[in-house]
Amino acid sequence: MVPKFKPSPLRIRSFCTKTVQQNPHHWPIKQITKTNFNESLSEIKNHISSSDFIAVSLQNTGSFSSPWHRVSTFDTPETAYLKAKFAAERFQILQFAICPFKLQASKVIAYPYNFHLFPRDELKMGMPSYSFTCQTSYLTAMAKEGFDFNTCIYDGISYLSEAQESTVKVRMGNPMAVDHATKSSSSPALSVADTVFIERVRSRVKHWKNACTDSDIKTEAALVTSLRKIVLGGEQFGSRPSMTIDVCSERQVQLVLKMLEDFSDVLVPLIIPAKGGGTQAVRAVLTSSDEDKDLLKRELQTFEFEQNKRVRGFREVIDLISASQKPLVAHNSLNDFTFIHSKFLAPLPPNMNEFICSLRLAFPQVIDVNYLLKDIGPVKKMTNISATIAYLKNRFFAPIEMEIPNQANENEGKIHGHNVVKICQLFGKLCSILKITPDAIESSDDFLASAINRYANIFYSLPGSSQEPTNEEIRGWTNDKRKVSCEDVVFLWGFRERISAGILKNMLQGSHEVFAEAFNVRMVDRSCAIVVFGKPGLSNTFKNVMNSKAVSGPLREMVSDGLKAAGYETYQRVCSSGLWESALADALDKTLASHNCLSEAAYETKQSEIYLSNELINLAEL
Amino acid sequence: MKKRWPITILYRAFSSSTTSTTASFPLKHVKKSNFDSALSSLRHHIQAADFVAIDLEMTGITSAPWRDSFEFDRFDVRYLKVKDSAEKFAVIQFGVSPFRWDPLKQSFITHPHNFFIFQRQELPLDGAAYEFLCQTTSMDFLAKYQFDFNACIHEGVSYLSREQEDKALKHVNSTYKDESLDSWHSLKEIRDTHLFNIPDILFAERMKDRLSEWLGGLLRNRDEGSEVQPSFNDSKQQFETIFFKMRPAISLNGFTSHQLRLIQLVVRKHFKDLAYLRVSGENSCSQNVIVYIESESVKKMLMKEVKDEQKIDAEMSIKASIGFRHVIDLLSSEKKLIVGHNCFLDIAHIYSKFFGPLPLTAEEFISSVNKYFPHIIDTKILLNSNSILQQRMKKSSTSLSKAFSVLCPQIALGSKSTHLSLQPSVKVEVEVDDIRSSNWNSGVKHEAGYDAFMTGCVFAQACSHLGIDFKQQSSSENLAHNEKLREHVNLLYLSWTNGEIINLSTGNRTSESLASNKRKNHYPKILFECIVIVWGFPSHLKAWDIRECISKVYGPTSVISVYHVDETAVFVQFSRAEMVSKFLDLKESLDRNNDPISVLHPLAKLLEGGNTCAASYETYKEICSSTVSKVLFADQAKAVGIKWKTKLVESSDKTKEHESLRKVKAVNSDPSCGERTKNKNFDDVSNDSSYSQLSSDEIIDSFYTREAKQI
Repeated sequence: MVPKFKPSPLRIRSFCTKTVQQNPHHWPIKQITKTNFNESLSEIKNHISSSDFIAVSLQNTGSFSSPWHRVSTFDTPETAYLKAKFAAERFQILQFAICPFKLQASKVIAYPYNFHLFPRDELKMGMPSYSFTCQTSYLTAMAKEGFDFNTCIYDGISYLSEAQESTVKVRMGNPMAVDHATKSSSSPALSVADTVFIERVRSRVKHWKNACTDSDIKTEAALVTSLRKIVLGGEQFGSRPSMTIDVCSERQVQLVLKMLEDFSDVLVPLIIPAKGGGTQAVRAVLTSSDEDKDLLKRELQTFEFEQNKRVRGFREVIDLISASQKPLVAHNSLNDFTFIHSKFLAPLPPNMNEFICSLRLAFPQVIDVNYLLKDIGPVKKMTNISATIAYLKNRFFAPIEMEIPNQANENEGKIHGHNVVKICQLFGKLCSILKITPDAIESSDDFLASAINRYANIFYSLPGSSQEPTNEEIRGWTNDKRKVSCEDVVFLWGFRERISAGILKNMLQGSHEVFAEAFNVRMVDRSCAIVVFGKPGLSNTFKNVMNSKAVSGPLREMVSDGLKAAGYETYQRVCSSGLWESALADALDKTLASHNCLSEAAYETKQSEIYLSNELINLAEL
Repeated sequence: MKKRWPITILYRAFSSSTTSTTASFPLKHVKKSNFDSALSSLRHHIQAADFVAIDLEMTGITSAPWRDSFEFDRFDVRYLKVKDSAEKFAVIQFGVSPFRWDPLKQSFITHPHNFFIFQRQELPLDGAAYEFLCQTTSMDFLAKYQFDFNACIHEGVSYLSREQEDKALKHVNSTYKDESLDSWHSLKEIRDTHLFNIPDILFAERMKDRLSEWLGGLLRNRDEGSEVQPSFNDSKQQFETIFFKMRPAISLNGFTSHQLRLIQLVVRKHFKDLAYLRVSGENSCSQNVIVYIESESVKKMLMKEVKDEQKIDAEMSIKASIGFRHVIDLLSSEKKLIVGHNCFLDIAHIYSKFFGPLPLTAEEFISSVNKYFPHIIDTKILLNSNSILQQRMKKSSTSLSKAFSVLCPQIALGSKSTHLSLQPSVKVEVEVDDIRSSNWNSGVKHEAGYDAFMTGCVFAQACSHLGIDFKQQSSSENLAHNEKLREHVNLLYLSWTNGEIINLSTGNRTSESLASNKRKNHYPKILFECIVIVWGFPSHLKAWDIRECISKVYGPTSVISVYHVDETAVFVQFSRAEMVSKFLDLKESLDRNNDPISVLHPLAKLLEGGNTCAASYETYKEICSSTVSKVLFADQAKAVGIKWKTKLVESSDKTKEHESLRKVKAVNSDPSCGERTKNKNFDDVSNDSSYSQLSSDEIIDSFYTREAKQI
């Protein structure tokens, strides 16, 4: 036996550093860890069901590893989704703040909770995640804000996604009660082997049952009892005697179950699933009476319930939110909900539409405050919530009173999870400015529904535009209101590094006649730039020129130095094939190379792509 | 974190109960705040040391389950797996424990240091953000041992690898090249012209007036020989007259960056004898000044001076971010004997974190490691390969904590227990700061500093059992050259799982002979050209089903074993190499034809679903070399970009020839190890022959027991 030891000598290590709080706010936010999770659940459930909205905010271990991995204005919703997907699959959520809130006149009544999460592999099955990536700069920034990594890793709540839970159920090998669906009604035709098998098992079961029910046993000594157990192959299931019958096939399972029906007055059959699916054995449990039988069935149910609860962990909260069907409010919804989908629902689907459909099943309404913000005027996309609140404060008179009736727990003063309250505040302000007034909300639910619906489920929108973007249009510049068709965009790379957009534009200006018309250059990262042509059709001319022998003059010089160009479809292919190299130039090169190898494979040949493969053949000839 | 799972909690509980007899002061923890002082004292300790024991704690070991170490790892694949691990995971704790023999006290003196390290992005380097992977089980394991993550992330010592330092210095050099500052100006000018509008023009005019006013006053005063008038300083203190490099100058405060750009433009356009400079002032914030200059040549001189200063500053900040690498540089330059426990992965981590990117092949890696660290000893090999030590270890496991408690009971359990001190024991005295103790024991296992200390103690005791008398060992002599140790130096386990050992000084690989009888699962030499990797098959198929399926086609003795890489992939080991190409050919033709014959073919069960892929061992290596790590092997193959279903072997003869050549080479060329090698080769041969005698069923059975454990 392992002697219990006092934790005190070990604890020393955890006490040697205490996080210093630098910026004490006064919003009491309930901090939830493994230790107080279960006791808080019912309270959270009440707050969720009585709320109008639920704000969510995440603290992740990273977002984008290279400048071009960041969702930018030149992304279509599809590429933006693929970028967000890539991040959500690699990084981890360390804190999940939720805040059910009510809007009443100019008052927000909020119940903020901040959950500390850590993906602990409690079942030793590589779940919820085998590993995750951390970005140093993120961790350093979190450290500066006083984040307590020890609390997070020691006491973080684990979880499993819905998809993982269902695979786990099979693999855990918990005995399952036999429901009638598993019993096949048609009695199978018996072969000789089957009959022999059944009779052998039947006699074993009979012996065992008789031995168990025999009252004489009670007088036997302990040694004899245990010997008897070994001989008869009996074992205990909880407090009841049971017997395991090994089976080799599903057919034998059926045979055994059928045979056990003869003993159904006292025996309850259970199926022990094998690790990789299928059945490993059938276990017969002996009960003393009908009441005892019911009791056993109930026990099995509660056992399963408790175990599922333990396995689900934090997902219990996600399930509560999902079940409430309340509208969710987020600040950077594409980012947050790709994370939520991949960690708590299922692996992310390959494209944006499927993602939205799948997400809508769990959360019917998701509202992005950034999107509401667009309705009040041409505001640049603000990444910082505090800055946005300050901006609104300067321009509009919409005082919002925050009321947080939470009882402050001992973690009070920790600054974690404040963003979620700020989101509530911002949302309150925006609703008041946009006249989705709290009165209206109280008076008619239908009005609320329609007012909010206008803003719901838009995960990616172009700044300054209140229309939902299509996959053909992007916006080249943040402060530029013009829409740009993907057709007019060309990616350029292969120039010397650390060049500025200005110099590159100067260089291009004199190089070819297509650049006589208005065009714009923007750097994507150090290695790659995009050129946006003002006049339709010029991009094609340029791409043609780049790959023909006729290329001459300064442009020829640049091409000889390694300059390369590709259309937007190549960029889309980079994102969809997952070639997330750290420099976009490398990713584009690789995509072109692999596309060259199997140009007719996998991709449906669109006009632009046929055109592209022609280009590459030309390139090879040069 | 380390792969030393056997944990004896019991031992710790016991030792904590006997702490009354042992001194318990904490290990020396080194963080950002005390790094400089610790480094200077450590420098002396390392210089005086006879050997230095090290240990590392990492954020994980394998980035995907199929990257774990298997019996089926050829040495090059094994290296690729180690390389992947070292590249992806971070080192968060580094234990250094220099051991010095003190002839007066007749004991070793050691100074265990426990460094918390965490690489921050302190320099504006190009490209990707610093990232590292965490394996959740490893983090949980560290948490179980109360690892202080806050100390690591909040206060860990940062570092730069040699390669990163070179890159940063090159970047500085190119930035401060003679012309570059000017070209930077002209570059800005292009942008500035776009910024003009009416408010900008008015502002520029105002600035022009004020500057000419200042300049006029300055020139007047100079002619009159009086001091620079202080009255110029305006109420808002935006213009402040100062002296910059002994020249009158204006320091600009409180302007926006746009305004500063306009001022810069005005200066360049209208004032020949003024120069606009941006210099980094004290407390590292940049300062904008306009300096009065007499002539163009003076301007050039001034510019150069400023530029040189900035360059020096930039270089200084690079030097300052070297951080923990100073310790590694010290270990390397002192050429001390480095002692680790099962430390191949540790060495790979040290290489990738502090020197540069890991080479593509094991051979290159080994030769460069040997250059940086000429003497390395692995205590795990030492304990397993020497019969005296094996006897001492009483055949117990060679995990670090076990070895420590068996070999150094007087330290592990406190010195009171007299019956244990019958065997000659080496005394080790621990010194932390100025506190000393000869029976110190207050470290926490799996804390790098304490693990390094244990490793050093095990090594010291092992040396004494080998007959090395420290009393007669002169301090000038390098312990690594001691003839009793010589045969153990620079041997590392390439893989503990299959006992393959690599010699860092020669690059030769041998498999373990002495300890082989101790291993539970010792397998005959694996012929890699007989192996096919199959993945993407229906998930309900298990190793047994696959074996049965293939045996139906090629006969019951054709398949030696089927081994699960993970739930989506298996290795199929055939009895003869030519069956590999036969199998791949057959699979390819079955995939191609969809006629009833192929549907009824015994292999069809394996190909069900149409996603089953197969290829030779070389493809497995290729997939291992990818930087991507998907959890499931089948997903990984897809991510690597494999779109075919079967990769046929071009000419199996060629690869076979190559393989046998390699084997001959490994057998013949090992002159340095003399007698021992001969024994080894003999063992190899006997293994080979025993392999042919073993019935295939036995082998399969042993594989199955192994497999059951794997799942």
